[in-house]
Amino acid sequence: MGKGEDARTASALFVDFVALLREYGVPASVKDLLELNQGLEKGLVESLDDLYVFARLCFVRRAEHMDAYERAFALYFFGIDLPPVAEGDPELFQTKQFREWLEQQVRAGKLPPRAVWELDPEELMRRFWDTVREQMEGHHGGSRWIGTGGNSPFGHSGNAARGVRVYGESGGRSALKVIGDRRYIQYSDAVTLREENLRQALETMKHMKAEGPRDRLNLDETIRRTARNGGEIDLVFERDLRDKISVVLLIDNGGYSMRPFIRLTQMLFTKLHERFEDLTTYYFHNTIYEKVWVDFRRVRAFPIETLLTRRQDTRIVIFGDATMAPEELELPGGALAYWGGAAQLPSTYWLNRLAERFRHACWLNPIPKDQWDSTYGAYTLNRIRRLFHMEDMTLGGIKGMVEFLSEK
Amino acid sequence: MKTYAFEGTDKYYLDPELRAIVNMALAMEKPLILTGEAGTGKTQLAFEVARALGMRLEVLRCKSTIKGEEACYTQDTVLRLNDARFGSGKTGRNVENFYDYVIWGPIGRAFRADEKVVLLLDEIDKTESDVQDNLLDILDECQFTIREVNETIKAAIRPAIFITSNAKRELSDPFLRRCYCHHIAFPSPDDMRRIVNLHYPDTNPKLLKAATDIFYELRGRGFEKPPATSELLNWIGALEIADRIPEPEDPPLIGVLLKRAGDIQRFRKGDAGRRPYY
Repeated sequence: MGKGEDARTASALFVDFVALLREYGVPASVKDLLELNQGLEKGLVESLDDLYVFARLCFVRRAEHMDAYERAFALYFFGIDLPPVAEGDPELFQTKQFREWLEQQVRAGKLPPRAVWELDPEELMRRFWDTVREQMEGHHGGSRWIGTGGNSPFGHSGNAARGVRVYGESGGRSALKVIGDRRYIQYSDAVTLREENLRQALETMKHMKAEGPRDRLNLDETIRRTARNGGEIDLVFERDLRDKISVVLLIDNGGYSMRPFIRLTQMLFTKLHERFEDLTTYYFHNTIYEKVWVDFRRVRAFPIETLLTRRQDTRIVIFGDATMAPEELELPGGALAYWGGAAQLPSTYWLNRLAERFRHACWLNPIPKDQWDSTYGAYTLNRIRRLFHMEDMTLGGIKGMVEFLSEK
Repeated sequence: MKTYAFEGTDKYYLDPELRAIVNMALAMEKPLILTGEAGTGKTQLAFEVARALGMRLEVLRCKSTIKGEEACYTQDTVLRLNDARFGSGKTGRNVENFYDYVIWGPIGRAFRADEKVVLLLDEIDKTESDVQDNLLDILDECQFTIREVNETIKAAIRPAIFITSNAKRELSDPFLRRCYCHHIAFPSPDDMRRIVNLHYPDTNPKLLKAATDIFYELRGRGFEKPPATSELLNWIGALEIADRIPEPEDPPLIGVLLKRAGDIQRFRKGDAGRRPYY
């Protein structure tokens, strides 16, 4: 695609693409679009594959947006709607792409109506990805029309004025093949924390610091410098040491749903312990009453009253799924596994006190955000959510937590 | 305007996508930020571009103590004081002349060059964020001001700027907005074979294949510090000297691939990656 007229037609085509990118969470701006235009006018883009690379340079700045960009590109230019999960990830079943595919397959008679119950989940997953691969293979050719073919919501009318014809391959791998690799999915904000992407989360966690102003006078250094300055006063300020933050990690190690995440969460925090003034971990079961436990097996108890005497700016991270029977949370003596008798205060009382004492308290939940309203135990989850800032265990969630905890 | 096209070199395997990116950044005259795991060849790329295009390379190796100004210039006040006190002798320096006491930093040299040069800011994430913001303006406008004499140094020819960063999030949004960013993904097994072949053209292909396969298998096990390209290259070198073809069950010289004591222990126990959570 060359200069002048063509480039202008092209830029009109890209306005919708920018909108789609923004919808997918890529912060693309008008300035980026203008830049894309400049490049088109310079003749940098000779094929769709070039476009894929160049538009990415213009619109995407962060690795965590790459996968969203690739999915948007595949949808916009090829009409292929990729789910935001990697192949083999059972979270596929939660995605809209999977549901749509299933409906289509059933309607086309390729799958029995009760496929979800009758077929093995592995098999369903395999068939889904086979379809995706077929779609991608089908698009592999020497020349193609952009925005006119397939089931793309952007070009179903086949209006050629809106499409741009692009010829040829750039010699390397085609854009679609590259997209198919999903190289950036582990950086995507929507992806659940795992061992493989722990590093990304760690990078985020490094930002968890409270830096006060340099407002504490270092007297010794000031005297030394002043003497060296020949009596000219040289004031030396430094940061108050207390600005290093201290973290308390409260982990629910009771529930089954928690298990896969406990080790990762602890790793996340312990790896960074030198960044914190101190890091203490306590354990609890389902919810918090008047005590938590120092050890994993919950033998040595630690009273919450003592915890509440900690400095107010202590960062509290509570890690649990927050789902339980409502009476466990709200009734005095509600916890079945507990022996305090009816005299003890309900869990909400203790959670309230924690939330009041510590402004920087965040609840980290292994249940993905989009299921918070529908999961078993949604009632208690949302009740707790009113008390604590809650995030899920995705890279985006970790980022949100770090931002929240780093607030002044 | 002269156009530049970089096609890779004999020592550097250039992935076609990266080639397109480098050439686009060169054409658009935008700084290119390269992020990615250690051992993906971020820094090497700038060296190879300079070599392939026959340009001079200026490198700023960033440290946390750097303030930004010294990347452009420093003034040797001590030398000037000394010259003022004791005379400059036969050195040709004139105490009256400020520029005789200026030491140009990499950015200063790149901007003053009378031909296109490659400017590499290596590991920019090590600097403080306000330093990055300062550098940003300098790089964007390709000019800086010498405070002492209030004179502006402006680049007649914009250098080709490459920036590397190990962290992925630490750079500020305004900084990223003015650059092109590319995250170099870890090489695929195919790419890795090409890289290995560039470095070991005469080695037994059996050894190369076995070593590369084991390498990727180990990377998949989720070690704390997974082995990277440089470790693989070293390992192949070591295997060649030891004249051994590694067996997947018991790869020799494992210390070349795994560096952390914990990883090596996990490896020896053989349960790496398969350990249940508690």
